[in-house]
Amino acid sequence: MEDKVEKFEEEGRRKFLRLFGGAIGGGGVAIAANALLPAAAAVEAPAKAAVPPIPNYDWSKHHWAFGVDATKCIGCLRCVEACKVENNVSKDPHHFRTWVERYVTLEGEEKARVDSQHDPVNIAAAGGEGKYRFANRYKDAKVDKAFFVPKLCNHCTHPACVQVCPTGATYKTADGAVVIDHTYCIGCQYCVQACPYGARFFNEEKGVTDKCTWCYHRITKGLNPACVEVCPVSARVFGDRNDKQSPISIFLRDNRVTVLKPETGNAPNVFYVGIDKEVS
Amino acid sequence: MDTLFHAAPFTGYVYPNETVIPWTVLIVIYPYLTGLVAGAFTMSSLYQVFGMQRFKPVAHFAMLTSLCCMLIVPLPLLLHLGHPERALNPMITPHTTSAFAVFGYAAAFYVILLLLENWFVFRPHIVKQAQQRTGLLGLVYRVLTLGSYDVSEKAMSYDKKWIFALAVIGIPGAHGLHGYVGFVFGSLKSREWWSSDLMPPIFLFSAIISGVSLLIVLYIVSCKLRKVPIDLECVKGMAYTLWGFMLFALMLEAVEFASLMYRGREGIEMILEYVRGPLVIPFWTVQLAICSLIPVLLLSFMIGTGTKGNALIAGVLFSALLVLVGVLMMRWNVVIGGQEISKTGKGLLTYQMPWVEQESGLTAAILLMAPLVLLTVAVRFFPPWDDAKAAH
Amino acid sequence: MPKHIVRLVLLLVTAGVLAYAGKQFLTVDSFYRFGHYRGNSVADIASDRPKFRTPETCKECHAAKYTEWSKGVHNNPAVGKVVKCEVCHGAAGGRDKNPNSDISSIGTDHPNKLKLDIPSDTVKLCTLCHEQMTGRPKEQKQIVVATHAGDQQCKTCHNVHSPRTFVGALTSTSRPGNAAAGKAISADCAECHGKAGVSDDVNIPSLAGQNETYLADAIKAYKKGARKDALMTGAAKDLSDSAAENLAAYYASLQCKSAQNGEPKLVAKGQVLAQKCVSCHGESGVSPQAMWPSLAGLSKDYLVSSLKSYKAERKNNLMNKIAKDLNDADSAALASFYANASCR
Repeated sequence: MEDKVEKFEEEGRRKFLRLFGGAIGGGGVAIAANALLPAAAAVEAPAKAAVPPIPNYDWSKHHWAFGVDATKCIGCLRCVEACKVENNVSKDPHHFRTWVERYVTLEGEEKARVDSQHDPVNIAAAGGEGKYRFANRYKDAKVDKAFFVPKLCNHCTHPACVQVCPTGATYKTADGAVVIDHTYCIGCQYCVQACPYGARFFNEEKGVTDKCTWCYHRITKGLNPACVEVCPVSARVFGDRNDKQSPISIFLRDNRVTVLKPETGNAPNVFYVGIDKEVS
Repeated sequence: MDTLFHAAPFTGYVYPNETVIPWTVLIVIYPYLTGLVAGAFTMSSLYQVFGMQRFKPVAHFAMLTSLCCMLIVPLPLLLHLGHPERALNPMITPHTTSAFAVFGYAAAFYVILLLLENWFVFRPHIVKQAQQRTGLLGLVYRVLTLGSYDVSEKAMSYDKKWIFALAVIGIPGAHGLHGYVGFVFGSLKSREWWSSDLMPPIFLFSAIISGVSLLIVLYIVSCKLRKVPIDLECVKGMAYTLWGFMLFALMLEAVEFASLMYRGREGIEMILEYVRGPLVIPFWTVQLAICSLIPVLLLSFMIGTGTKGNALIAGVLFSALLVLVGVLMMRWNVVIGGQEISKTGKGLLTYQMPWVEQESGLTAAILLMAPLVLLTVAVRFFPPWDDAKAAH
Repeated sequence: MPKHIVRLVLLLVTAGVLAYAGKQFLTVDSFYRFGHYRGNSVADIASDRPKFRTPETCKECHAAKYTEWSKGVHNNPAVGKVVKCEVCHGAAGGRDKNPNSDISSIGTDHPNKLKLDIPSDTVKLCTLCHEQMTGRPKEQKQIVVATHAGDQQCKTCHNVHSPRTFVGALTSTSRPGNAAAGKAISADCAECHGKAGVSDDVNIPSLAGQNETYLADAIKAYKKGARKDALMTGAAKDLSDSAAENLAAYYASLQCKSAQNGEPKLVAKGQVLAQKCVSCHGESGVSPQAMWPSLAGLSKDYLVSSLKSYKAERKNNLMNKIAKDLNDADSAALASFYANASCR
């Protein structure tokens, strides 16, 4: 009871300070300075006082990261389906929080042929929209090289999407996930444009932007993201970099990893092993 | 709304989420209207700030046109939002690293500036109406006077200074605002088609030519409707302005296109395929050949040969109409074009514009007509005509 | 300064102050607490309820199936291959769809209301991972469905929870047959298959010590016409299912006898070739899988003619494929090896 009163007063004081203290010029200067800082400034200073009230979880103690070993992926698309179920994503082939790409280089061809589960041929093989399966379309072809690459939001250190969000509806949490506040997003889709990886989409039903959150509701409860949970071949790895024995720490130690489109300066936190030059 | 979204057909490989084009025809309309605002404002400041007397007949008209367009500018954005009722969020908690957040403030500032400028310009008229009219309309005029009927020499000289000062602030304001729209696109590193430092000036110059063209058309049409003689000097002046800025605009676009091609970064093959294929009609034929080269050549010819009279008026009007279409096409080719080239650099999409629904061709057409309707109403209550003052 | 300008400036200042006050008033409470966002949204997003519940949840009620799975190849964390319950059965947790928010935690959960999917079409399910496909790493077990088992369901042979054990193996311990009752009706069979189930005729198989399940299935197959033989079709026609089970139990209980007189060279060659057969028929012809026959102790001639029949009219997707690749010399060698192998 007392706690509540104190919290209330504290909020009142903060509001008061914001109302009058900030009014005197200082705010203007701060805004101007902030606007001119490079993209890195988009990620605001971390927690000031308390941590968010998540049961049995302290976000200041974790530093999440994701690994993908493309040499293990078998393209079964269980991750894609699990993600849609776990996160109530529309089942159609135009909205994905995660997806899998297939790169096939035929003999005598220079460039890989790329497709993903949204390709009409693969939808037909799956037996309709809302089911996910790769068609065995290259079984009679002469193939030089072929592999699958799982894709998802990279939860970048300098996320271009967060930089352009006009409201602060999308942000990077202190433990490393880039998430969206669906109650605050206005649905302008500027972030969809800004993401170089095509990881964001517009959720027409809710009128807001949507994307992978690394299953923030799972990882804060000690579970793996749904896609990692169901991957039958451990092509997806997830964990806490603060824990030196976590799967991701071991993955990063044991492998030479790469990230997608490093030239954009977004500094992704999804690390890849076994992808080819054409993967971007 | 019957369908939640439209899937765009594609070739090659595009990211699955890209198959729904995020920014539709409404986002084409938005920079177009903003451009008209900036262009019309430029015309009026040529008189107000730079003292070019030949533009006196259109100076006030330009100011009013600019305001009418500006009032419509937020509409396409609002209609596009997934949650229009949250539209104030960017103003309440502006994220200062976002080009959109700052746009809210810049636009609000600019609307106020235009309102003030118009208020000062039309104050003598407002005072006169307030004194003459009764009833509701009279009340509105009286509120607008702020309770002061002072139109003395002294007061007018104050007003003149304010008009000048506001116009001076307005020049960087209007152009900054529109350059900013260019920045919205140019600053995105995710799309090679947009990512360019030249985007702001390109948007700015095309804005100016579209605004000037709009004024040319509106001025000539309004004179015909009101059955007053057309001021040839003024038309010729606007033709010069259009011609000059067009040369700049074309040069800038050419430089931008050349450097995009010359840099030839990752994904250039797809861009080339796009330029050679889907762009043949909207870009090469309509925007460049018909709506840029023809007006430039025609204007050059008329200026070079000193065309006079009705031939001049017809030629300038024709050129202006083409430029208006051309700039709209340019907005289309930038906004839609950018999204038709996949971020994968391995595929192309095709935007299919629906005709009747919230974000459709019909909405776009209505939004394009809205400023004109607004203007038709506005000129009845705030006559901007140079001759009207003398007549009354 | 003229009155109207003073008033205008006042109006602007008032509007500015009002706008600023409005902005402050409308700013949601927890905004700016941790950064430029609504601080409360972090806990809101984290409060969503997970749908996928991990195998540990399933274990609580399905202990037997869990054990079966956890000991099999579909749970092999050492090589990183773990196919968890929810991969095939779907998420165990439910959550109602609330169009306004993700945060809704009201929903139906397995086991109360929600029934989990028990995939009926195992061919469709298993081939998601095991269909031979360009791009799949070599380490992944892959099959070409048409040549592996045709249109048969995977679960016909494989225990889906532990695919390297086979369906027959599971039921072998609990056959309903009664050996004594079987002995009582075995007189007719003994005429051809021998007194103690050890046949004297090289063209007729010995039955002693054969897998019970296999025997019962074979009799039933003759009865139904799935397997055809001039003599056996007639003999099985009048046998009831329980009689079939009893006979199977009886013969399975007997001791088989192997010839052990094969030509060493041929036997050695057969042993090498037999590597292909190990997974179904066992290391030395004693089948570990109850549904498939042991081969040890069957006569060479019978085995050769069996292989020949698989090459021709007799239908069995697996055996047809194997027999097709064997020439006569190979068949003879294999047959010698098995005829010579000691039973148990």
